[in-house]
Amino acid sequence: MKRFAVVLLLGMFVLASAGMASARDWRIFLITMDQMDQHWVTVDAGARKAAEELGNVIYQWMAPDVKDDAKQIEMINNAVAAGADAILLAANGPTAVIAALREAAAAGVKIIYVDSPADFPAEQTLATDNEAAGRTAGETLRKALEEKGITSGKIGIVNVNAATMSTVLRERGFRAAFADSSFEILETQYGEGDAAKSKEIAANYITQGVVGIFGANEGSTVGVGNAIREAGGGVIGVGFDKSNTILQLIRDGHLLAVMAQNPDVMGYEGMKSAVAVLEGKTLDAEYVDTGVSVLTKDNI
Amino acid sequence: MKNREKRGYIKRILAKRGMGQVITVTIGLIAMVVVFSFLNPFFLTSRNISNLLRQIAPTLITGIGQSYVLITGNIDLSIGSVVGMSCMMSATLMTKGVNPWAAVAITYVAALAMGFLNGQLISKAKLPAFIATLGTMTIARGIAQIVNNNYNTDSIGKAGEGFMNFFYYGKTFGLYNTIWIAFVLWLIFNFILSQTRTGRHLYAVGSNIHAAHLSGVNIPATITKAYLVSAFCSCTVGLITTAISGMGTMDAGTSYELYAVAASVIGGVSTLGGQGILLGTVIGAAIWGVLQNGLQFAGAPVAIRNIVIGVIVIITVLLDIVVRYNKKAGRRQAAAPGTQASV
Repeated sequence: MKRFAVVLLLGMFVLASAGMASARDWRIFLITMDQMDQHWVTVDAGARKAAEELGNVIYQWMAPDVKDDAKQIEMINNAVAAGADAILLAANGPTAVIAALREAAAAGVKIIYVDSPADFPAEQTLATDNEAAGRTAGETLRKALEEKGITSGKIGIVNVNAATMSTVLRERGFRAAFADSSFEILETQYGEGDAAKSKEIAANYITQGVVGIFGANEGSTVGVGNAIREAGGGVIGVGFDKSNTILQLIRDGHLLAVMAQNPDVMGYEGMKSAVAVLEGKTLDAEYVDTGVSVLTKDNI
Repeated sequence: MKNREKRGYIKRILAKRGMGQVITVTIGLIAMVVVFSFLNPFFLTSRNISNLLRQIAPTLITGIGQSYVLITGNIDLSIGSVVGMSCMMSATLMTKGVNPWAAVAITYVAALAMGFLNGQLISKAKLPAFIATLGTMTIARGIAQIVNNNYNTDSIGKAGEGFMNFFYYGKTFGLYNTIWIAFVLWLIFNFILSQTRTGRHLYAVGSNIHAAHLSGVNIPATITKAYLVSAFCSCTVGLITTAISGMGTMDAGTSYELYAVAASVIGGVSTLGGQGILLGTVIGAAIWGVLQNGLQFAGAPVAIRNIVIGVIVIITVLLDIVVRYNKKAGRRQAAAPGTQASV
């Protein structure tokens, strides 16, 4: 009787652990550039939502306090050491963290890029086509100026810094939209995405007599809108990303249009793709353009 | 008789300690303004001068706070984070329906608590200023992030218009309110520093803390006062930042403590303590603001701008050290004639 009970218990244990093995939880980390920019907070929200829906994900968002290559490398290494099955990564730059990614891949970790890819093979990249979006912003501004009869003049760009690939690409696209025009685009000024600093930069542009200003990310765009509001109009502003303040600036007519990204989609679909890969399925596409919508007064 | 008095008065002002550096940098400032106005016709327009003065104001205000702390021989690394914390706190309260002026009051209380903590950690717990304010720097930044659940705030909306006009967008007698705020704060804190016993104690603690202690100066009270002033100034700039954007951003104020050190040091406030006057901080902040504004108008690429600013800061500090060293050498020679002044 005793032996029978032992065998029964052992059998139950084996069955239970077999059950656990086939329905195990995946440990997935989201590593972004920093934890304060609203963009990353939204990516996290999307990823978290997918994790909750899927139910078999142990999810954690890790990000350094400020954008810093060494810190991001450290986060990747920490994630691998903590037993990550997959990492959703917004790489600081194309080559900055490759060494850490190589080690992660060697340890069997699946990599998916959200928002910013690195030059290292991964399962999938979900991002905004920043150069195309920047070009759309430029074309929107140019069209609006030409409709007002303005075909030449100065244009100012308020960008973040020279090291953030996504905003650098947006500027490249924006400038391309004016390549064959009589407009003069002034030397780009960097506001680090700080709304207050960006406002001062935009105000200085207005003093120099610009006809249009471009804000390359959310903070820059808030600054541009506030500067135009203070100047009482007369300058057309376009920008990137949406927030409560930006939507209000559009409604009040101080900003013409913004390119709204879909960071929540990046996080949501990125998480789903990660789990799909871990469960052995193949993904449909290597690159997913999560797209931008052009928000104007008419459609918000 | 009257002429003699006038000459004596000017001589007294020039003889004031710290004036030497102030005069040197004022000449530098004037030179810069001339160069920039040549490089770009828009630089000297009334619109730009108005904007420029308003852009200088936050650097001056945080510069005053940092100068107070530097004069006691310490440093305040938490300035930028308290700016961010104040920005987020005031904006979050306002978006939740709190009356703007109540929000302002609550924010000042929180900032002053941070300043009090700094002062006590350094004077009572004897933590080095660098370490203590490094700690409060990260705490304050953390509070800035938690206060609205790691989100930047919504717009403070129509309810915040009076607040926004008071701190930033409004003008009084033709000058932006921000400029008046900076001017009034400078008047008050300059008076305290140069005409009151508290001011003398601040210099005493910075020059020789042991002698000050033996003379009966209340060291913890004096140091805490310096950090309270710094926190008050940081909070004011935080509120100005909220007013500029009409919302709270978690990364507001980043690196402001360093700009405040630059403004103070260019103006002759010594990082070793006991030296410098707030008039210098005004010129230092003005030089900083003129550089930022002027280099943008000159169309300088950012890399050049960073190098130029760094070089100028180093040159002004070097000038101060060279001048003081020569003064010292001169005094030694006068005191012991016939002996070679040691190098």
